[in-house]
Formats: sequence, C-alpha cells, structure tokens
Amino acid sequence: MKESFKDRLFQSIITVILCIWAFIALVPLISVAAMSLSSKAAADLNIVNLWPIGFTFDSWKYILGDNALWRAFWVSLFSTLLGTAAALCITSLMAYPLSKADFPMGRYVMLLVVITMIFKAPVVPYFLTLRTMGLVNNPLVLILPHMLTAYNLAIMRTFFKQFPLEVEEAAQIDGCGYFQILYRIILPSSKAILATVGLFYAVTLWNQFQHPMMFIQDTKLFPLQLKIRQLIGGGTELASVTMASKVNYSEATLSSAAVLFAILPIIMVYPWLQKYFAKGAMLGSVKG
Amino acid sequence: MSKKHASVKALRVKRSVKDWLNLKKYWPLYVMMLPGMIFFITFKYIPMLGSVIAFQDYSVFKGIFGSTWVGLKHFRDLFSYAEFKRVFSNTLILGLLKTVLIFPIPLILSMMLNEIKNLRLKKAIQTSIYIPYFLSWVIVGGLIFDIFGSGGLFNNFRNALGMDTVLAMQKSSWFRPIYVISSIWKDSGWGTVVYLAAISGIDPALYESASMDGASRVQRMRHITLPLLLPTILTLFLLNIGSFLELGFDQVFNLLTPMTYSVGDIFDTYVYRVGIQKGQYSITTAVGLFQSVIGFILVMTFNKLANKFSEDGGLW
Repeated sequence: MKESFKDRLFQSIITVILCIWAFIALVPLISVAAMSLSSKAAADLNIVNLWPIGFTFDSWKYILGDNALWRAFWVSLFSTLLGTAAALCITSLMAYPLSKADFPMGRYVMLLVVITMIFKAPVVPYFLTLRTMGLVNNPLVLILPHMLTAYNLAIMRTFFKQFPLEVEEAAQIDGCGYFQILYRIILPSSKAILATVGLFYAVTLWNQFQHPMMFIQDTKLFPLQLKIRQLIGGGTELASVTMASKVNYSEATLSSAAVLFAILPIIMVYPWLQKYFAKGAMLGSVKG
Repeated sequence: MSKKHASVKALRVKRSVKDWLNLKKYWPLYVMMLPGMIFFITFKYIPMLGSVIAFQDYSVFKGIFGSTWVGLKHFRDLFSYAEFKRVFSNTLILGLLKTVLIFPIPLILSMMLNEIKNLRLKKAIQTSIYIPYFLSWVIVGGLIFDIFGSGGLFNNFRNALGMDTVLAMQKSSWFRPIYVISSIWKDSGWGTVVYLAAISGIDPALYESASMDGASRVQRMRHITLPLLLPTILTLFLLNIGSFLELGFDQVFNLLTPMTYSVGDIFDTYVYRVGIQKGQYSITTAVGLFQSVIGFILVMTFNKLANKFSEDGGLW
C-alpha cells in the first residue's frame, strides 16, 4: 500500500525530531571532550563549543598523572568487580529456592522481600545501623549494602521459574541434591540472565554516590564518583594547580578531562550494557 | 488433665510446623536463602525497626533502649517548622513535575521511535539516546554545570542570539527547569525500552487492517498503539507514584548550589544535611518515616484503583 503524503510528512518530522534528540543526548559528551583538549587561552575566552580550540593534551597529562584519581579509580574498579561477583552469588542462591513452587516457605520469604520494596526504611536509622556495624570508613560499605536488591531477585526468580521441572526431576533421580542442580544445571543455562543482573549490579556499584558520601570521609578510600565530585564541586584543588604561570590548562579543561576520565570506562563496556540491559528491562516487566 | 491436653496440642502444633518446614527434604534450600535473609534483616528490617527513634529523644550515648520516649512530639514540631514546610513543598512540586512532565516523555519517544522504519537509523538513535542513563549523577551534574556555566554551550548560544549571559545554576528560578531537563536528558531515552518491548508484542495484523480501512499513521498511533500500551503505562505509573516523594538524593544533591536551596532543598538533601551531618537523628527519622508512609499509602491506593480500573492493572 502506498503511503499518503500526510503520512510521509509525519514520518519525516518524527525522524528529524529523533535525530535532534539523539544529537542532544551526545552534545554534552562532545562538549566536555572538546573542552578537555583545548588550551587554557581558549577556555578562558569561553570560545570552546563542540570542537577543541588550541588543541593540547596538557589537561589529560595532568589528570592521568593524578595519583589520587587513579587510586579512586582502582577503589571503584575493585569494589565493582568484587561486589558484582558477591551479589551474583547471593542473588542466585536466594532466587532459586524462591522460584520453587513446591517449597512452602518461599511464598512467605518473597512477601518479606516485597514489603521492603513498598515500605522503605528511613535513611537515618539505616545510617545508624550501618555505623553500629562498623561500616564508617570501612571499604566494605562500598560492597555489602549493594549485594542484593529486591528487583534483581525478582528478575532472577522469574527466569528460574521458567526452567522445565522435568530436567530437575531427572537430575534428582540421578542423585543430584539441590546445590548440584543449581550449580550444574540451572546456572550454566542462565548465562544471559546472570550477565544482565550482573551488569545491573555493576553499574549501581560503579556509579554509587550516596553511600560513600554518607560513610566515607577518609580520602584514601574515596571511590571515583566521590573523587570527581570533590574535584569539580567547589573544591580548591584544581583552582590552585592552575595558578602556576606556565601551565596550558584551566580549571574548566581539567574538570572536563576528569569527568571524561570517569565516563570512558562506561563507554568501553557500553555495547554489552546496551545488549543485556534491554533484556533485563523486558524481563522486569514480567509480573509475578 | 487440661495440662496434659495442652501439651498434646502443643506437640501436634510442633509436629505440623515441622512437617511444614520439612527440614529433612528442604534443608539445602534454607541454607541457600540464608545469606540473602541475613542481608534483608540487617540492611532493611533492622533499620525499619530502628525508625522507632522518631518517637524518642534519641541520644547516641543512651541508645535505642535507654533514650526517653516522647510520642509524637517530633511530628508535631515538624509541622510547625517553616523549614519543613519549605522542604515539603519543594519535594511536592518536583514530584509533580516528575509525574506530569517527565513521566510521559519515554512513552512519546517510544511511539515516535516505532514509526521509524529504517532499522539502521532506529538502532543508531537508540544507541545514542540510551548512553546518558549509564552515567552517574555526579558526572551528569558536572556536565550540566559545564553546559549552563558562564562559558558553556548554553550561554554561548544565548550570546550568539544577542541575549545576556545567565548563571542558571546559581539562580533559583532556573533550578526546576534544570531538574526537569536533566531528568529527561538522562533517563527518558532508556525509559523507552519497556514501551518498545510492549509495542513489539502488538499484532501487526491490527495495523494492516487499520490501514486497509484508510487509517492514517496518526490515527493508528492513537487508536491502536496507545490503547494497547495502557497496561504497561499503568504498571510504570504505579512504580513511579510509589517513589513520588523520592526524587533521588544523587540528582538533586549534584545539581544544588547554596543559591538554589530555597527551591531545590528536598526531603533527601534535608535529611542528609540535618540528620547525618548535624546529628539531629530523631527529627530527621520522623521526616523519613513521614516520607515512607506517604509512599506506602500512595502505592496501596493507586494499586487498588488500578485493580478496579482494569482486571490485570495493579502490581499485585
């Protein structure tokens, strides 16, 4: 069937709007990249928009030579990797019993989990509880509170539920216990969901801000987000290093480079993020 | 006699509980759940019980069990504080903006995306509009400060049009627009994923027969796509309404400047500043409890409404 003129016009307008939207989604990233590669003079004149002016790597040289920033990077990387591994273990271990229809306790435990989703504990008693546990200025606070979320548990449980019961029963007849069934049969065929949930946890861990803000004052334990916030949010560190006379960077170019430094790891894993996150979001829309 | 009877009864109850727990068969499942259960108890339920300090004059030295009980004193105090009223109305206004202006954007975007028939172009657009979702609010805050700063794109653009430089981040009148813009920029692209999944489940025969009958694209969007998306919209709306008063500490904290406190200070930032930084634990727990109870009431009410509205409408 031939499209009418009105329909084609409508479609072109939509295409243009979406292309502009896609451009706007990228503009801030292009703009910081341009700023981070510009000279001090250009930055001070406010003439840098989407293309570097007075091209120089000096800001990057300074940022990549900043040991405190690298330290924060490693803190974030370690807590993300360790935290994701631990979270996947705990989540799959709990999701499996909850997925079993014949397990009488499952329903009640699930109810306890759902309650935490609709009634949230206030922040202050949460803070006091974790402080009593000794988690202030303790690197474990970057991991432990993120090891399980009700949402990820529900996604994994839904996925395990779809697993054919006959396979499990056959394994049971062959003498497999529940642990063996989970470890040898369920998990190996759940790689996609493990990747999805793992990435959910990884992004939360990498981007976490409120927990370190509340619990970590020791600058040696700062994760990357907190370090970046300290650099760009009213700190005096960047202003003071740009006071020196012969440098070719300004506060603006340095903070742009620092922001981009924190974005790059996300961009590098972005193809996987896009692929698996979409799957997870769709699974999340399955109720029950 | 009656004593014996009672003990027999107790034994029977004990046995039925034992049968029901069925430890012999299910012990591995209990062991598996253990770490997760410990997590939920320590990180969710103990803090929930710890909320009782909202009804005490809590002192760190006396602890929960030694502090004096004061009943609803803190709640009464709160409602007479001018600061609480300001924070409450700021939270309410931003919550309304979130529901009215920000919530519908992913729906509109996904319906527009669905109209693009060139798959490669569609994929390219999706790839780029999803990116901001994965950045932290610290980073997005940094980007926003750059763009709206004195030498940023926003002011360069204004200057090019002959307008004055405006320091938007330091102006209270700009805070709400920037809150809305930053939310839309960061999250609405990603928000299309669920809608697109729902749209892909719509039977193409419906569109074909509609266009056979001469329905235009706009009519097909309005009379086929939109009604069939209603259950998805409803579910997402319910999830959204439950966090009506939770605007996200990270976002607001990273966009706030001392000059914008008057409009940007919300429950989350207030609790952080007054409770965690200044140590006024009881009164800020009362604020948090107020927030949780409102969230709880909103979810329950709207869930009930949704169930009344359509058979499979509610979350449960």
